[in-house]
Amino acid sequence: MERERHSVTLRINGDYHDLRVPADEFLLDTLRDRLGLFGAREGCGVGFCGACTVLVDGRLMSSCLLLTAHVDGRVLTTVEGLAQEGKLHPVQQAFIDCHAFQCGYCTPGFILTAVALLDEEPHPDEATIREHLSGNLCRCGSYMNIVEAVQQASERRGQ
Amino acid sequence: MTVGKPLPASDAVARVTGKTPYAGNWNFPRMLVARVLRSPHAHALIRGIHTTRAAQVSGVVAILTSEDLGQPGGPANRYGVMLKDRSPVARERVRFAGEPVAAVAAETAAAAREAAARIRVEYEPLPAVFEAREALAPGAPSLHAEYPDNCFRHAKLRNGDVREGFAAADLVVEETYTSPIAHYAALEPHITAAQWQGEELTIWTTSQAPYRVKNSVAELFQIDPERVRVIVPPLGGGFGGKGHVKLEPLVAALAWKANGRPVKLTLSHPEEFVTVIKHAATIKMKSGVTGDGHFTAHQATVYWNGGAYADISPGLVGAGMLRVTGPYRFSRVHVDSYGVYTNLPPASAFRGAMSSQGTWAYESHVDSLARRLGIDPVAFRRRNLLQDGDQYATGEVVHDVHWTECLEACIEGLQWQERELPPAEEKVRYGRGVAVMSKNTLPSSRSECRLALDGEGRLTVYTSTVDMGQGSHTALAQIAADGLGLSFDRVIVVGPDTRDTPFDSTTSAARSTSMMGTAVARGAEQLQKELKELAAPIVEHRPEELGAGHGEIYVTDRPAERVSYTEILRRHGREFLEAKGEFATDIPPLDEGTGQGIATPHWHQGAGACEVAVDMETGSVTILRYYAASFAGRIINPQLARLQNEGNVIFGLGPAMQEEVIVGEDGQIANDSLDAYKIPSLRDIPQHLDSISLESDHGEIHGIGEMTLTPVAPAVANAIYDATGVRVYDLPLTAERVLRALNDGT
Repeated sequence: MERERHSVTLRINGDYHDLRVPADEFLLDTLRDRLGLFGAREGCGVGFCGACTVLVDGRLMSSCLLLTAHVDGRVLTTVEGLAQEGKLHPVQQAFIDCHAFQCGYCTPGFILTAVALLDEEPHPDEATIREHLSGNLCRCGSYMNIVEAVQQASERRGQ
Repeated sequence: MTVGKPLPASDAVARVTGKTPYAGNWNFPRMLVARVLRSPHAHALIRGIHTTRAAQVSGVVAILTSEDLGQPGGPANRYGVMLKDRSPVARERVRFAGEPVAAVAAETAAAAREAAARIRVEYEPLPAVFEAREALAPGAPSLHAEYPDNCFRHAKLRNGDVREGFAAADLVVEETYTSPIAHYAALEPHITAAQWQGEELTIWTTSQAPYRVKNSVAELFQIDPERVRVIVPPLGGGFGGKGHVKLEPLVAALAWKANGRPVKLTLSHPEEFVTVIKHAATIKMKSGVTGDGHFTAHQATVYWNGGAYADISPGLVGAGMLRVTGPYRFSRVHVDSYGVYTNLPPASAFRGAMSSQGTWAYESHVDSLARRLGIDPVAFRRRNLLQDGDQYATGEVVHDVHWTECLEACIEGLQWQERELPPAEEKVRYGRGVAVMSKNTLPSSRSECRLALDGEGRLTVYTSTVDMGQGSHTALAQIAADGLGLSFDRVIVVGPDTRDTPFDSTTSAARSTSMMGTAVARGAEQLQKELKELAAPIVEHRPEELGAGHGEIYVTDRPAERVSYTEILRRHGREFLEAKGEFATDIPPLDEGTGQGIATPHWHQGAGACEVAVDMETGSVTILRYYAASFAGRIINPQLARLQNEGNVIFGLGPAMQEEVIVGEDGQIANDSLDAYKIPSLRDIPQHLDSISLESDHGEIHGIGEMTLTPVAPAVANAIYDATGVRVYDLPLTAERVLRALNDGT
């Protein structure tokens, strides 16, 4: 059952990866199984919970629904790529400072979603934050702290 | 001191950088991928299983069917934590749609999937039953020969003569409340890997109870538990669904056929729905009250839908008996709690186990009684809530109880008195509601830990408490740090790994901070004692003249005379200094016939209050404000406490407002995916949500993992009544259901 393979080049967190992947391989599996990037995780498996969120050319995508062959040549950011030179991204730091997680399984997805929001709109109001993050699910129910973390990251950015 | 401080979780950086080592990351050398074949029938006899074509798939290493059970040296036919009613894969008969019938281990996921699809099973369908009360009716299909009437437990509480009480009442009210099946929806699925190396079995698993797994699997294979090692990583949520024993017997049995290679099973999200569910419950409430609002009698009858296998339901049905009456002065009270087999996936403890169903019923009912008497529901509760020295329904006298304080904290937190409700509009009505809860924790359980101080002055805490997001490892590190006089960052918490971490009953029932926390405090105390003894000759003072802090032993009167822990170990030529800590509660069971006795080491206590807007045209309910209170005894970490309190409310909002597992006529779950089964998102939570953890002078630590969850549904339903004069008896409180009630005018 040798499946057809595609050559793809991905730029992930600044590094180039040349891979040969089956046509039906999902980006989530490529990240986890081939590249050892475990920050994106499968939650619902149907693109609904946001635990598998990655940034593709700066846009939020569910990597559990995205075929790797379709993102050939694109620039990807996963949660592993946010910290620079050993320093956490301001949104990551705000999530720690605001205790914005419990089990942490959904956290990378929320952080990337918040990063995308603040890149687009550096000072969103609370309603905007709530709306923008409503595509990510947190079963532990850390939502209040998550909203506070995004607000804090936004405030610090303004300083 | 670190206790009482909002320290970040000890592995916070890993959590925000994607580095937490969840089970999904495991990839062991030569690991095989497992796939389960499940029954499409809710109830059927298995007439044959044919695996020849499956075995021909390239890459298949092992196939497990019931033919492999009961062989010498292999897995036995049956297992079960409380009743041995289940097989690793179905034998002779399937009892719910989704029950594992066979399993495959293969080199790749694709090969495992292909092989599972090629297994042919011949079924002879049988009549099935899905509702608990229908399953108890004469002539209903019977699931297990040992329990022909499908009732696997009937727990009884008898305190006083309720008939006499009803006769003495000015008003007797009977109501029936229902709570449907719900789905845990931890974003991380159940994942289990197992490997046999000769006679030794290692299991890596997402379990809340590693020692239960160890002992159950050892029993399944009839081997010494010391040959089974269980390792548990940080969990991506548990909520009770990962309690006790889940995938481990199946995966260990499959691995037994895999020639020593590790086998890993990862459930898909639809498989999660058929692995474990919340008990659906039908709860009949009957109360007699006097005109001035006192109880003369209270009677509760509850039918718990246990699904096809007992899991720990026999215990939960007993605990549930205590969770369907509130913390009130009843004078006479009877409870009948029935655990019933049906052709549904097995039910188990669901965050706020049995208590969310019970609180829904009794707090709606109490509100209804007050309204019928024309008494303010808050005043009615103030009048009847148990106070220190009162008797619980079990006959025990309660102490250190704070139900009224929890209620008052919510009233105050919601600014009930100060803020007026918005005036009713043509389309929208506003209302407020409250609810109070009580819950017993495990009467008998044990927690042990091991503490090792090394020559660098670092303390390692070995514990089998599972960190599943509640922050228990952080809280334990804080307790250990304070107990030994070290800074928080010098403490490492490891485990569970049953090879290195000692016994713990389970991480559930909000017991860990209290039980394991006490064990850790005792271990630290012991270690400190030994350090003082070792330091005494160095500082030339007697041990009782010494104090400990900042990693040093010092002379109490002359703090300048001191020696560091590192130096103490070095002087005595010790690499490590170790101590054990243990804490156990051992309360004899309640009387089987009457449910009288001592139910719990302490009562969990909480309350909630909310303000809602009800759209009279659509039935849609918006929760404008919610305030929650839990009794914590002593707060270890205020931020983690707040996350528990508010996380509970948000989790509780799901089954209260929007979640319900829909079972089709064929017994298959119709909405087995998170796009159809909607858990709360940021769109679904109140604009204003706040909480408080109450402390007491005694300082006893109470777990707070569930206390603010169970009041959510009744607090909202009571607010809906306040707004509209209409009571809803069935969850969840969807717009459709509320609109129907508004139209019926119930």
